[in-house]
Amino acid sequence: MCDIIWCKKCNTVNYLDPFNFWNWEGKVKCAGCDTVYYIYMIQGQMYKGPEERPGEEPDILPLYADQPLNGYEAFKPGIEGKTRPYNCLPREIYLGKADWRKFSIRNWPMRAWAPQPPSAGIAGSHGFKWDIEKLSPEVWEEFLEKKKKGEVRDW
Amino acid sequence: MIEKERIPMEEQPGPRSKEELDANKMPFEEYCRKVFDPGNEFEKPAALSGVRWMSCTMYIFTPHAVSNLAELGAEVVKIEMPRMGDPMKHTSPFNECYYYPLHDERPMTGQGIGCVNANVNEYFITMDYHREEMKEPFYRLVRMSDGLTECYRPGTFDRWKQSYRYLMEINPRFIYVWGGGFGYGPKVFGGSYDILGQSHAGLASITGFHEDFGGHPVKHTNWCIDWYSGTMITVGVLAALYWRRKTGLGTMIEFSQVQCATRCCGYGVPLYGRFGIVRQRWGNWDTQLCVHGIIICGKSDYPDAKNPQLRDEARYVMVSAFNDPDFKELCNIIKRPDLYEKYQKHKDRVEAEAQVEIYDALEKWAADKSRSEVVKILTDAGLLAMPVYNDMEVYESPHYRMRGTVRWQFDPIFGDQLVHSTYSCGLMSKTPRRKFWDFRPVGADNVKIYHEMLGYPISTIKEWYDKRLI
Repeated sequence: MCDIIWCKKCNTVNYLDPFNFWNWEGKVKCAGCDTVYYIYMIQGQMYKGPEERPGEEPDILPLYADQPLNGYEAFKPGIEGKTRPYNCLPREIYLGKADWRKFSIRNWPMRAWAPQPPSAGIAGSHGFKWDIEKLSPEVWEEFLEKKKKGEVRDW
Repeated sequence: MIEKERIPMEEQPGPRSKEELDANKMPFEEYCRKVFDPGNEFEKPAALSGVRWMSCTMYIFTPHAVSNLAELGAEVVKIEMPRMGDPMKHTSPFNECYYYPLHDERPMTGQGIGCVNANVNEYFITMDYHREEMKEPFYRLVRMSDGLTECYRPGTFDRWKQSYRYLMEINPRFIYVWGGGFGYGPKVFGGSYDILGQSHAGLASITGFHEDFGGHPVKHTNWCIDWYSGTMITVGVLAALYWRRKTGLGTMIEFSQVQCATRCCGYGVPLYGRFGIVRQRWGNWDTQLCVHGIIICGKSDYPDAKNPQLRDEARYVMVSAFNDPDFKELCNIIKRPDLYEKYQKHKDRVEAEAQVEIYDALEKWAADKSRSEVVKILTDAGLLAMPVYNDMEVYESPHYRMRGTVRWQFDPIFGDQLVHSTYSCGLMSKTPRRKFWDFRPVGADNVKIYHEMLGYPISTIKEWYDKRLI
């Protein structure tokens, strides 16, 4: 569930996903007609706005938008100048920075970064083993290095 | 045997009396370690091997019902939406992804960690089974399986000609499970989530502190009703399998999540029936026993930690001293013997006003102490006290490590993984639960199931894949 900016000028629904907009103040650009709207959201509720701010620069683009009156024509994520890309980045646990991980807390390899080298076969089928040495040689090297330094633990 | 060959009793090997037999037995602790033997589950047989189940499920509630079977040895085929997979893979926590790859076609779309533990040991295939072209493989799978679990709105599978009414005609031994929100009745179309289950069942109304203390009805942070209801479905499935052994016939199980959660309300509903009293919340204290609750201490056990969950939150202790001598001892420790004088009888101190006064005194005493200091003082005095653990402390707990409850496993696809699901569900000496893998990528077993099991040629599988049917 998320709040929206329904631009009445071009009948475009700009979706404000709660992850980014739960507590947020700033300007969002309509994906349909590039009108800039000011909004202020508190705890997922629209506290102020949307108010038009002609001539001002937007702070963020919507992730996704569509036009329900136009056969649900959609602006998918990652259209330059319209929507922002969806990078699936997990946050660093306390500071909120994006954070890929290659090793668990005991320093064993873990497949938690993207993109992964393709490893599926026919119709998306996968084998039963992550061949780290072959698919991710740099991670394997790093693992061996950690092992040598005694950083790889059982617990 | 002739007389001279008989060996006198006292020379025969083995114990000579019941007492000697008992004395020769290994200590019970040692016996338990030997028969349960955590870490060597894979050497033992699996109770449900030979059972094949289809899982047309999503999120946590119904997947977990099937996962229980798979952990006990059933062969489970999880059927997901082509390219997308179970929506749970994309929802939690905060739509962030920690597992890759989800699918080679979508290299940047990984999956969240929220769905772990719910689809253990299953084979993952994709199928858009409401398309006419996929009816045949679906029915073929039904013929070769013992049962199916699904979670769609009531009647959806019936509309698609794959409800129990249709499937029992092609496999009379088939056990069919529908798990969802409400089931038939006035709210038949109501979907459900864990929080809805907790609310509708009245459970949330008795969780958390009373409003007088600044509390509100509280849902559990995790989806405890999803996990609980899923497990209750498994109980139903095991009974249905036993029934089928006796009669040769399948069963339809209809399982409403909101109905199941009412069971957690304990005596609340019967209480209302008898006296017309609506049970109130009583937070971290107990309506039947005092002292028997959780208190907050003044100092954290980890004052310098970066993580606020450790720095600020590691301050809670469970304290139990409800019988008279224990309560007296507790009052002496906190230097409030007057409280014992005032509330000598349990029925006096369990009253609401008394509890407010007693817990307040306890927290004042603990205000200049850390959690571990409080636990040490109370346990040294022979009282029951236990810190409220967080996940890190569960991980560090030697008790869980020794019993194998929490353990590291190198998942064959996703790498290093800390697991607790399978091994937290009780130990079985002969046929323990086991975890081979947590889940598999979307469509990972398409060839294994469609080609190797059902016998479709690879060319057909490729054609289905290109048409987005699988």
